[in-house]
Amino acid sequence: MQKLKKNKLSQILEKLLLSDYFVLYLSIVCFLILWLFIPVLGSQRNIENIFSNMWPLLAIAIGQMFVLLIGGIDLSQVGLIGFLSVIGSAVVCRKLNPNVFSNSPLWGKVLFENGSGIESIPLSIALSILIMLLFAVLIGLLNGLLISKFKMPNFMVTLVFQMLLSAVAIFLTASENITGLPDAYITIGNDNVFSVFSIGSFIVIAQCIAAHFILSKTKLGKWIYAVGMNPKASRISGIPNDKIVIFVYIAIAFSTAIGTLLYTTRMMAGRPTLGATILMDIIGATVIGGTSMYGGKGKVTGTIFGVLFFVLLGNVLNHMRLNYATINIVKGAAIMVAAYIDVTRMKLSKNILIADDKKEAIHHFQEHEKEA
Amino acid sequence: MKKTVLFALAILMVSLLAVGSVSAQDLAGKKIAFGYQDLETEFWVAGHKAIIESLTEAGIEVLEYNANEDANKQLEQVRDAIAAGVDGVLIIPQDGDSAVTIAKECNKAGVPIAIFNRPPSSEDANNLVIVADNKAIAEETVDYMVSEAQKKFEATGNKLTPLIIVGDLGDPNAVYRKEGFYAAVEKAPELFNPVIEVDSKWDADVTLTNLTAAVQANPEVDFLFTSSDFLFPVIQAVLEPLGKWQKVGHEDHVIMGGLDGDKSAGILIDEGWIDGTGVQDLYYEADTILAALLDAILAGETEPNEWLADPGFALTQGNLAERHDDMWGNK
Repeated sequence: MQKLKKNKLSQILEKLLLSDYFVLYLSIVCFLILWLFIPVLGSQRNIENIFSNMWPLLAIAIGQMFVLLIGGIDLSQVGLIGFLSVIGSAVVCRKLNPNVFSNSPLWGKVLFENGSGIESIPLSIALSILIMLLFAVLIGLLNGLLISKFKMPNFMVTLVFQMLLSAVAIFLTASENITGLPDAYITIGNDNVFSVFSIGSFIVIAQCIAAHFILSKTKLGKWIYAVGMNPKASRISGIPNDKIVIFVYIAIAFSTAIGTLLYTTRMMAGRPTLGATILMDIIGATVIGGTSMYGGKGKVTGTIFGVLFFVLLGNVLNHMRLNYATINIVKGAAIMVAAYIDVTRMKLSKNILIADDKKEAIHHFQEHEKEA
Repeated sequence: MKKTVLFALAILMVSLLAVGSVSAQDLAGKKIAFGYQDLETEFWVAGHKAIIESLTEAGIEVLEYNANEDANKQLEQVRDAIAAGVDGVLIIPQDGDSAVTIAKECNKAGVPIAIFNRPPSSEDANNLVIVADNKAIAEETVDYMVSEAQKKFEATGNKLTPLIIVGDLGDPNAVYRKEGFYAAVEKAPELFNPVIEVDSKWDADVTLTNLTAAVQANPEVDFLFTSSDFLFPVIQAVLEPLGKWQKVGHEDHVIMGGLDGDKSAGILIDEGWIDGTGVQDLYYEADTILAALLDAILAGETEPNEWLADPGFALTQGNLAERHDDMWGNK
């Protein structure tokens, strides 16, 4: 009887662990328990903070998920954030201090005392976003081409791009922040227009829907999973692996541009060092969301839950008044546990598949015996 | 002497403000968030200690946040602190621009904010600010160095080659220190060759690279001002192998000064390696800004807006005997 109970419990645990909603359940349970001890967690302002921190990280993590799905990794995201932040802000800014910017190579060419010199605010905002997206696509294309066509290791290519882009951002601005951004631009990442939703949040929601549609409803999505599961098999079965790799690196850069727009507007400045310290947050949130580091496994919903969990964790740790070192230790441990759960889930899935195959084989054998 | 009396009076006034106007009973149960960008130099470590001790002694609950040099993280931390219902916010911001963004956030939430030592880059938000009169302190320090340069010029007949290690110019403190340097040097143009500027970005590694290159290109440098004392070990590392790290009075001594007033600079002055340093009065700054913030909290002010000044002074080989103990790094 006890053995039966134990089996049932392990089956429930197994099911829970394999569930796509595991991280969501975990987030809710953690939140509810901690709410008892930290009442401020459930306050409206705190909920707003959690969502405000979640939108830009989610935009960027969705991109990382695409790359992890093909078994790759993109370290250049953190350099790209700083680069796009200053490029976008340079186009839209209205006022600059010559004492600070006279050392910039852009001074007198693109940057002036009245900013970029584009008088119409709506036009400058549209141009800023468009230019950020264009640069992002171009850099994603370069990353993808070097990795797919030249067969260079993704780790090395994206690490080099990280350093290169950070250096260019610092060079272009002479290490200064670009301020003087118009209010209409700043509003994108700051003011909530409805409940916890800012204008930027709607862009991220649209991005999530598009990413979900691509991955679950299109042939392209199936190919992305196939390349991640087994690149050799996918190539043999006629899937254009190289094009898929290029696509996902463009997708991640595009997603990074969206996240950068939100981070830049909430900081009210283009900052060359923006995002320099968030690589672990991005990869951690994505992995916690169930995207496998081995490729071929991961969903948009999982990434949303992973980012929610990660942001919630940071928020709770802030309210627990832990020092910086302890916060990092806890975050690191959470990522490590997530990576271990990833491995366990892989094993469990394999075991279940083998068990199902066995059952099917026995069933066929018995049928065959009966017929004989 | 007059300066010493004024300084003592200022300290007395601040102490009365801090202790008298805000009683411990009034502050019971108050919560203050103290966020800092990091504690990478002696100045910030000592400032952090002074602030925490003062707040704790006053019976105030302190919520401490370290942003690890990430301005976005500091904004998120302040937002969380506001959600936690703090009565006031005190920050050492990453830079002047993020100070404005964070101050605006506090203004929006109706929570008074005080900014310690690193002033906001604009007056777009309402905040309390304590900042040293960096231009005056730098000028006073370099004035002394110029007087030493005058003696050297008279003795050798050779113009001196001045070099300034500039801080991150996104930080107004760095801008004012640079202005103070030029104000002093330009009083005696006949003594100097053109000034060589070395960028530090407030980073020891960047300074090492840039200073090494500058001194290799201009080995005749014999007048050096650093915008922060924490760079003296880097300067020593560059000058020593060239035989230019010599004590005051040696024929190869580089006339040298800095700004901050930390312990290392105190030792270097005591031992005669450098000519002087501008002193920001750290404890005065901590006491003054806390008194102002606590007054605002008790008065129910949500957007207090005042810039408070630390007059500071220059500790030099010339006034070392009288003012040695006035420098925070020597206490």
